[in-house]
Amino acid sequence: MSIEIKDVRYMVNDACLLDKITFDINPGEITTILGPNGAGKSTLIRLISGDMKPSSGEILYDKILLNKLTLENKSHRRSVLSQSQNINFDFTVRDIVEMGWINDFNNNFEKILNEVSKECSIEDIIERKFRYLSGGEQKRVHLARTLLHIKSIENIYENKYILLDEPLANLDIFYEFKLIKIIRKLAKNGLGILMILHDINLAYKFSNKIALMLDGKVKYFGNPEKVINQKNLEKIYGLKMKIFTKPFFIKYY
Amino acid sequence: MGTNIVKVDKNFFRYINNIQLKLISVFIVFTLICMTLGFFFGSFDISIKKFVHGNLSQLEKEILYQIRIPRVLLSAFVGAALGLAGACLQGLFRNPLADPGLIGVSAGAALGAVLSIVVFSNLLEHHFLGIYLLPISSVTGALVVILILYSLSKGFIYDGVTYMLLIGIAINALASVGIGILTFVSDDAQLRGLTFWMMGSFANAQWNLVIPTIFLILISIVWIIPQSRKIDIIQIGELEASRLGINVIKLKFIVIMSSAIMVGVSVSISGMIGFIGLVIPHLVRLIGGVNHNYLLIGSAFLGSSLLVLSDILSRITIQPAELPVGLVTSAIGAPFFLWLVLRIKKS
Repeated sequence: MSIEIKDVRYMVNDACLLDKITFDINPGEITTILGPNGAGKSTLIRLISGDMKPSSGEILYDKILLNKLTLENKSHRRSVLSQSQNINFDFTVRDIVEMGWINDFNNNFEKILNEVSKECSIEDIIERKFRYLSGGEQKRVHLARTLLHIKSIENIYENKYILLDEPLANLDIFYEFKLIKIIRKLAKNGLGILMILHDINLAYKFSNKIALMLDGKVKYFGNPEKVINQKNLEKIYGLKMKIFTKPFFIKYY
Repeated sequence: MGTNIVKVDKNFFRYINNIQLKLISVFIVFTLICMTLGFFFGSFDISIKKFVHGNLSQLEKEILYQIRIPRVLLSAFVGAALGLAGACLQGLFRNPLADPGLIGVSAGAALGAVLSIVVFSNLLEHHFLGIYLLPISSVTGALVVILILYSLSKGFIYDGVTYMLLIGIAINALASVGIGILTFVSDDAQLRGLTFWMMGSFANAQWNLVIPTIFLILISIVWIIPQSRKIDIIQIGELEASRLGINVIKLKFIVIMSSAIMVGVSVSISGMIGFIGLVIPHLVRLIGGVNHNYLLIGSAFLGSSLLVLSDILSRITIQPAELPVGLVTSAIGAPFFLWLVLRIKKS
């Protein structure tokens, strides 16, 4: 059981934004998408989350066609973090995180809320007004909301997934590392994770599978050791690359 | 669908705190006090004592039951409609400066009304339907605008409310051209009627107009209040809300339709009353918080009470004549709005 993406193509007018996308997202694994700007990474996440329908091809959640799922049903199977928008009214951080809770309020709520805010280090800002926070703090709040969302659902379905569009953008190196460890813990607990990263080192170190995208196609897909090499990276990014297997700064990690 | 409604009820009090519940009761009491004042004060004061003892003269009874009560009820419900519509639209468009005028609905209603004053007024003058001509024509104007919005945004599907706001600006501009032309060709009597209507007034509140108005506004209120939590969640973005299982297209449809009905009906019967829809929600937020379970109900009651008060002011300031109530609300609302803008800039 997994999310299966089968020969997906996405066209807008005559432009083909995504083509021949085929791979699986397995529960318990971190799948990372790498690629230059405009490669179609965010578009792919929007297709997989079910915001838009592919022009051809199929996406299946545990053998069920994504198109056949209702909005509510989709919300029970996956949560999504995307490039977030401004909030124009004085909602507190707690208000925003609570919005992720899509279940009835039960005894678990406070417990899970505390757990999630601790993980994302937002306990100290939980009563602050969201819109006056810094970009990095806002990112952590939205990540907490995404986590609360997926944890608010009891296990009605076999598998649950999290789709993260640049979860580490705007974060300093401390939080970058802290949050990716949380993501790894989630995967160990059985969640299927798909995320977009720009940091090749982190992707290499923490992913189970990596998809290298260019011009709307997944050029290379597989284990980090197999996919990340000088030839592939040079082709994807159009830059001269050199890979150090033991970089001098690795000890800080 | 059924489960959804139960869900909203079950969690309703989760999203509104005790202080806010108390504030709402204060708003309700305040509204009732304002309405009572409205019944008895005006260019002709009716003694409350006499009313309680039940010995009003025939003239006083006539004034109370045929003029004061329908007028106060009308202003109360129009105030509630404008305040609530403002709060919903600011929430939906995630824009603190949105108001019912913004998506062009008021302008459409106004164009319909002006059309009926200038072009059709002679048509049905002595027909019994004559008094309904202006409201019907005005609501039609509002509905036409909604239809345009609906078709241009492909059934509200188009994501990004900015698009809808831009359409609203275009519709506003077109409607003011229409109103301008009609004003230009109108004769003196029509021009006078038109001017008074543009400034807003409750002077021609009659039971046979007031009852359908109240009925339509009530239906819209009942339709929109259960959406409060969804309007909260849409603050994090339409896409994000839909990923949490909220049908954003349906929400937009409900909010825009019900606001349009409320505003269209209000404008049709009482003319252009500015600033209530814009300022009241800000005031309510300032007093007690931003969550829409509190905000929508609070805006309805505060809009209601303040418009009843404005109407009392409009009746007593230049006795025996009457100030158009739209002038009163703008005179109070505009400086408050300016203060608000300066305050936002500071923070």
